[in-house]
Amino acid sequence: MADDYFSFTGKLFDQKEISRKPEALKGIRVLDLSHMIFGPTAARFLAQYGAEVIKVEVPYQGDYWRGSTYWGKYWKHANPLWHFINHSKCFAAIDVKKPRGKELILKLAEMSDVVIENFTSGTVEAWGIGYSQVSKFNPRIIYASLSTYGQFGPMRFLPGWDLLAQGTSGVLSLTGHPETDKFFKVPDFFGDFFPGYFASMMILMALHYRERTGEGQYLDVCQAEILMRSLFHFTHLQMTGKELGRTGNLDPTMAPSGIFKTKDGKFVALAVATDGQFQSLCQAMDRSALAVDLRFRKATDRLKEENARDLNGIVQNWVSSRTASELIALGRRHRFAASEVMDDVQISQDPWRRERGNVVTHEDEMYKTMVLQGPLSMLSKTPGRIKWLTRPLGYHNRYLLKKMLGLKEAEIRRLEKERVVGYWDYRVGQRPPVYYDIDRDPIFHYSSPEETPAGERTR
Amino acid sequence: MAIKEKVYSRYLQKKGTARQISAWGQILSQLTSLEGKPEALEDMVVLDLSYANFSGSIASSFLAEAGAEVIKAEPPEGDPARVMTPFGVQVQGVGTPYLMESRNKRHITLDWNSPEDRENLKRLAARADVLIETLAPGEMDSRGLGYRQLRDVNPGLVYVAISPYGHYTARGKEFAEMPWTDLTSQAESGLAALIGDLADSPEPYSWPTRAGFYAAGYTTAVAAATGALVAAFFKRRTGEGQMVDIAAADAYSSCVGFPPTIGDIWKKPRPRYGTLDYGLCPYGFFKCKDGYVAIACFRDQDFRAALKIFGRWKLEEDWKSLLDRITDDIEKVRGLNEEVEKVVAHYTYQEISEKFSAYSIRAARSKWRGGGLPVTTKMLTPREVMDQEHWRARNTFARVEHPKFGIVTLPVTGKMSRTPLRVKWISADIGGDNEYIFKKYGLTRKESGKS
Repeated sequence: MADDYFSFTGKLFDQKEISRKPEALKGIRVLDLSHMIFGPTAARFLAQYGAEVIKVEVPYQGDYWRGSTYWGKYWKHANPLWHFINHSKCFAAIDVKKPRGKELILKLAEMSDVVIENFTSGTVEAWGIGYSQVSKFNPRIIYASLSTYGQFGPMRFLPGWDLLAQGTSGVLSLTGHPETDKFFKVPDFFGDFFPGYFASMMILMALHYRERTGEGQYLDVCQAEILMRSLFHFTHLQMTGKELGRTGNLDPTMAPSGIFKTKDGKFVALAVATDGQFQSLCQAMDRSALAVDLRFRKATDRLKEENARDLNGIVQNWVSSRTASELIALGRRHRFAASEVMDDVQISQDPWRRERGNVVTHEDEMYKTMVLQGPLSMLSKTPGRIKWLTRPLGYHNRYLLKKMLGLKEAEIRRLEKERVVGYWDYRVGQRPPVYYDIDRDPIFHYSSPEETPAGERTR
Repeated sequence: MAIKEKVYSRYLQKKGTARQISAWGQILSQLTSLEGKPEALEDMVVLDLSYANFSGSIASSFLAEAGAEVIKAEPPEGDPARVMTPFGVQVQGVGTPYLMESRNKRHITLDWNSPEDRENLKRLAARADVLIETLAPGEMDSRGLGYRQLRDVNPGLVYVAISPYGHYTARGKEFAEMPWTDLTSQAESGLAALIGDLADSPEPYSWPTRAGFYAAGYTTAVAAATGALVAAFFKRRTGEGQMVDIAAADAYSSCVGFPPTIGDIWKKPRPRYGTLDYGLCPYGFFKCKDGYVAIACFRDQDFRAALKIFGRWKLEEDWKSLLDRITDDIEKVRGLNEEVEKVVAHYTYQEISEKFSAYSIRAARSKWRGGGLPVTTKMLTPREVMDQEHWRARNTFARVEHPKFGIVTLPVTGKMSRTPLRVKWISADIGGDNEYIFKKYGLTRKESGKS
């Protein structure tokens, strides 16, 4: 390796420069009508790379995930996990079921490039804010309907989210130990997040197409299908007639492979992909006879179930005589893949992740300091970034209605009175933190340059 | 099914709705048709140099499904990923995971050690919009083929690098030579620590456990493809390329985002939770008479409905509100979970599903019941998934005919009204497209086409 390569890349990805760099999706406006995780994640990905995202919620109710934190642990009167899902967005609360509310949403859709929704199939159409209605006056719109089963097909109306999508797609049936009656789900709503990024990928493809042709389109983003797209098991089944089922910690495509317990009681994952890596492992183990053993020398033989299990036994014996840090050092020196099992605290404190920007300490006007996950992909010229954390329900109402739609203060007060637009109620997750003086917040009380300041408002 | 439709699509049952949504119905009816439809990325050229690593080839598959011309270049002896396959099972010399991701690609061979082929690679890179590589950080650079050199040949190039720790940072440099796999990535990125049975269950069931599919690999692939598309969009507007860097060792945490925030605020790691849920109880799959069913009750009224249906109303006293059911008191939650396990074991999936639906219909009409809507579904294996009429109606499984492999079934998604994603062909022969690509891009080799 050229010695200066890492100083070259270090400059390319310098964390200190990020706020001064351009944003790739600047000028793209996204109307985010979605809730929970799947839809909001797709919109947040676009926000992170520069799109202006307007999230519309139901007044005095809000997104259910505002209040749903793990183990009921709140942080500054908010759900700490909600910040990652919805940061860098604008928060409007408009009631679509009121005629004037529907009108406002349609106006926002007219001024947008992308709409994202994840209600039950057909609901937005019944409300009059669906693709067939929006595309009439905004043919350039890219309208993404997200759901677990897709917009058509006999099961289209069934409810769904992460847990159900994992069950119905086959994902759930693959995790756990074959001799037990337990099937483990992939935690943390992976079945929402992963399809969420896939949805943003489809939206980006549609944006590329629109850039060339000027044409918008309708996207039917199906959560369960996306999970199925990530399984080679269907092709394997069809070609071989065999279901793989659960294989515990053995990855059937690698041998040896597993999560092993070390001498110091830690857990190390170790897996070998190529014949070259296997030779390296044998060197590290100081087992030259293994390296030439005909059962193991070539991947094709090594992977046979009986051989793979034998090999895993040999590796477990070896691993239990070493500490985790010894094993990682050997992996580095001999070039085979070995990683310690990392937990939440290790990840939050890992200097590598901090230096890379995968874990970020964000300073926020409302919530002060928070540690959260950085962008999914690191881009050297147009890096993703966290602009602000989430905001209380309806926080940007005034700002958006005046700035984008040109409404006057009196009109907004009427909308408030009729509860067409609204704010938070007493519930945790919707309101600002108690220490925060919302009455002096210039965005919440936004007044356009030509009007006199609205002054203190009472809700 | 009819009863469920009644429960879950109340907005569509209102008078006049059918007429209102007919235009949309028209659009839906055209979604599975590919005839005459253009492709979103048909002007894009992608050079895929992934080696012994699926994430790169999956990322390029995504772009190929949207119409990009993807040229997969591998050394003459072939990419080792070809034989990374469950228990070594191959079809005509190719593993099933590789076959599954060989959609819509061109396969050529390039020998890194030959000056002629390094020149060929440069020529392709000069024309490419996106290049994807999975080698050790610095390896391409030391051959004169890294981002630093190729950006001079093609200032618009989007150079996507996938590695365990990335192409920058001190650790990235220190561990540059270490390979990665889906499994090690699942471990290091925080996934394995969260899967597995409760601490008091016997070893190895209490150990960290892998997700039984390429969870880290596919996440890394989506990160690469979305990163490439964001960068390529910037290129469309400015002509400028850039470098995109993906660290697979952070795949899971990057995807779901919770681990660093939880680690920092709670100061202690979450334990493995078996089949329980960190958020809510009951929320999971339970063993019933004929399989495993989901029982999910989000709101208080949903939970109360489940208690009524299962005849366990006496439990209500202790679990009245949502706050009771999202407690971190694991013993208490286990108690409730065991109650659910016991009662679910008496029924078949069909029975539970019908009870839930019937109750929901009654509840929707009664203000006293408060609209309780407990939710269930059945866990399916891949074989059962493939038998579902629903996926047949959606053309979720493409069937592609190949002279060597016969009929190959591949899951495909991405229904877009104008530019649907699609599988056009599969090709997996080493160097199978040498002639076509060499000619098309003016590459030269003394013995052209030989691999």
